Amino acid sequence: MIGRLFHVFRNTPLGRETYLQSLYFCNQSGLSLKVYVPLETRFLMYLEHHVVQVDLDNSYLTSPENAQDHARDLADEAGVKIEFFEPTDYTASTLPEVSVNFQYMCCPRSISDLSSKIGLGYIGPRVRVIVHEARFPVLVPSPVFKEWHSLAVFFGGSANAFDALKHALALHRTTGMPLDLFTIEEGGRDQAHLENRLKDEGLAEEVHGCLRDWHVKKGGTLAKHLYDVPHDALAIVGAYGHGLIKELVFGSKMEAIQANLCNNLLIVGPRCHLPH
Amino acid sequence: MKSGLTQATGAVRRFLGTRANERLMLMVVGFAVGVCSGLAAVALNRSIITLTHWLEPLRGTWWAFVLPGCGATLSALFLEKLMREGAGHGVPEVIYSVTRRGGLLRLRTSFSRLVSSLLTIGSGGSAGPEAPIVASGASIGSNIGRFLGFNDRRRITLVGCGAAGAIAAVFNAPIAGIVFTVEVILDEWTAINIVPIAIAAVAGTEVSRLLQGNQIPFAHTAFSITMPDLIAAAGLAIACAAVSVGLSRLVRASHGFWAKVPAGIWWRAFLGGCVVGGIGTLVPSALGEGYDAVKEGIEGRFATGLLLVSVILVAKIVATATTLGSGGSGGIFAPALAVGSLLGLAFHRALITVWPSVGWVGEGCFALLGMAGLISGILQAPLTGLFLVIEITGGYEVILPLIIVSMVSSTLCHALEPASFYLKDLMAGGPLVRPGSDARILADLKVTELLERDCLVVPETMRLGELVEIVKKSHRNHFPVVEPGSDRLAGMVHLDDVRGYLFDTGLRNAVVVAEIMTANPAIVSPDTGLIEILALMDRTRSFSLPVVDNGRFLGMVSKGTVLDQYRKELIVQSSK
Repeated sequence: MIGRLFHVFRNTPLGRETYLQSLYFCNQSGLSLKVYVPLETRFLMYLEHHVVQVDLDNSYLTSPENAQDHARDLADEAGVKIEFFEPTDYTASTLPEVSVNFQYMCCPRSISDLSSKIGLGYIGPRVRVIVHEARFPVLVPSPVFKEWHSLAVFFGGSANAFDALKHALALHRTTGMPLDLFTIEEGGRDQAHLENRLKDEGLAEEVHGCLRDWHVKKGGTLAKHLYDVPHDALAIVGAYGHGLIKELVFGSKMEAIQANLCNNLLIVGPRCHLPH
Repeated sequence: MKSGLTQATGAVRRFLGTRANERLMLMVVGFAVGVCSGLAAVALNRSIITLTHWLEPLRGTWWAFVLPGCGATLSALFLEKLMREGAGHGVPEVIYSVTRRGGLLRLRTSFSRLVSSLLTIGSGGSAGPEAPIVASGASIGSNIGRFLGFNDRRRITLVGCGAAGAIAAVFNAPIAGIVFTVEVILDEWTAINIVPIAIAAVAGTEVSRLLQGNQIPFAHTAFSITMPDLIAAAGLAIACAAVSVGLSRLVRASHGFWAKVPAGIWWRAFLGGCVVGGIGTLVPSALGEGYDAVKEGIEGRFATGLLLVSVILVAKIVATATTLGSGGSGGIFAPALAVGSLLGLAFHRALITVWPSVGWVGEGCFALLGMAGLISGILQAPLTGLFLVIEITGGYEVILPLIIVSMVSSTLCHALEPASFYLKDLMAGGPLVRPGSDARILADLKVTELLERDCLVVPETMRLGELVEIVKKSHRNHFPVVEPGSDRLAGMVHLDDVRGYLFDTGLRNAVVVAEIMTANPAIVSPDTGLIEILALMDRTRSFSLPVVDNGRFLGMVSKGTVLDQYRKELIVQSSK
């Protein structure tokens, strides 16, 4: 794959775990890695229709004197070439701006809160906004580094689910990893219906070429079905594809998945570009 | 019945799809933004009056000098710890968002500066509430535009509506609001933005009049202008330009000085506030916005004596520079008006001292001229100074000397200091790109959007014969060369490099691409700006350049694609 993954480096043991995950993702996907070693606890990201001020917790500034060395050593060990991001634009001379000219971003479940607060099921408000507004998918790593050897796509037939599937197929083309689809039949969308949709989108042949298993579930809670997701899979899920009212009434599938699944997640937001 | 309904629905849809409706929508939303800005302005104004009133009994105590220090500390703590924003007034941020970021502003800016400037000014800091209100109004406009899913162009118009509504409400001066927005914030006057901005200015003014009464901020006094006054106005303009540049530089120097003080930001704000409080103990007129001094000056009631006015003038300048430089929150608008009026008084008194026999106009007139001169000089916005003074004093008698002072002062200031007070920081970070300019259009184009990925990439080990076969079938002139089995760029082959070998068939199997390619060619990265890329193309006389990320070849970017995308972007940005 062509493109870059953006990572904000945290020079702590927890930060090392997430960084290792980014390195692994780049190694598998062939992306290059852009690393930002922050020297201030805040920066701005100008997304297409939103400006997000990210207020990092102070642990991101731990030992700045050796942060770049640590990042470089780990990258050398993983065999990934990295580039450091140096902010050149500032809003009102005090707030550095992070360019959003990349294809993926690695983001822990929260980047503004103390690491002790971050747990399964908790997504920080900034991360939520980034997922919602960004033109790139967000890699939410597992709390501890773990390799993934397959791709698990949550596929319910929505436009966002198709985008997630397209990103999964792009990853499959590079990594060669098998693909699992997870579908919960609801609202008249059964497997046959989804098969037809795949054909309509011209994806059926490619999907079946790499599909290992299509898990179709009926009834029960989402949490119950997540046990079948391989523990060593990269879970790829679309997010916030429905309107505000529907999200408020029925909740977000992505939120439910991230609350129960400790796999690495690749979240494809509603404004994401499709992979080349 | 059904057919009628369908027709009506169709008509509504057609109406919604028309450009006229887009303008109507902007007017309606602009009105709402103007009302919100007006409310913000009134809220801050009333809050400052209330806080000042509460603290009045404490002003007589021996420790009153710490009051501005406490206010500045709370302001800095609020901004830094709670809002996590830097100090300052926010106008450069608004201009930056308009010029570079499609008018995107953070939601928190809509209230953070209001609170921080209330704490600074209400406690006695020498700063003005206008700039924080402008930032607040602009942020309200930006976020309403974002909520409604407006594009950059419409969002920028709403940012302008917020700024216009704010200035109009603060000064009860709608024309000044419109002119300030067009001249300082947007720097453009187009049919699509001027109407909503005017509506917002009227809405802001009406909100202010409804809640605070319709009154001109400063009493109208009739002046009779003679020829000597016009000549003196030119002299005052020179003095205004000198003081504008001096004040502007002093604020920056003060900022640099306080930044070097080895203490936390709130300690610096406290110390700076105490210094201001100390100045205020000796010269009470130096505290706060300074509008009382302005009123007395215009009405000709200011304490007599050239020396006294000069001392107060210097005290006000130092207090303003210290307040803003040490981390207090507020703008320079009100202090500039106060300093201008004091300068006008001092100038008038100096004239009377030197030429006592000339029949000069009253000193209130020179106070007005000084205000216009300082605003025009510091903001480098002559029309803003001109219309503001006319509107807030309710009289046109002084229009001729006002024009002279405003134009001369802003021209001289521009000659001495190319960037205005608001633009200085922005221009330090790179050239300012205004909407609709070439630079702005190029800045909005990203290399990744222009990437030509359908290039014919050849390995460096390829034999010349194979390359010639590729050249025969291709319409391209450039061939990126990569290391075998990878996508790492090794060099470039131009058609001219191959031309010499085309008819020498003997060499086709003897020469490999690595021998004829240009190693280490000029490259660009995905982060390189378009302006830089075009300059590099000119320098290297190339029509297209390889885009390389971390050594990996991504594609080519060519002048043709840039021109094509430029044209499309131009259409988008200039669509009215």
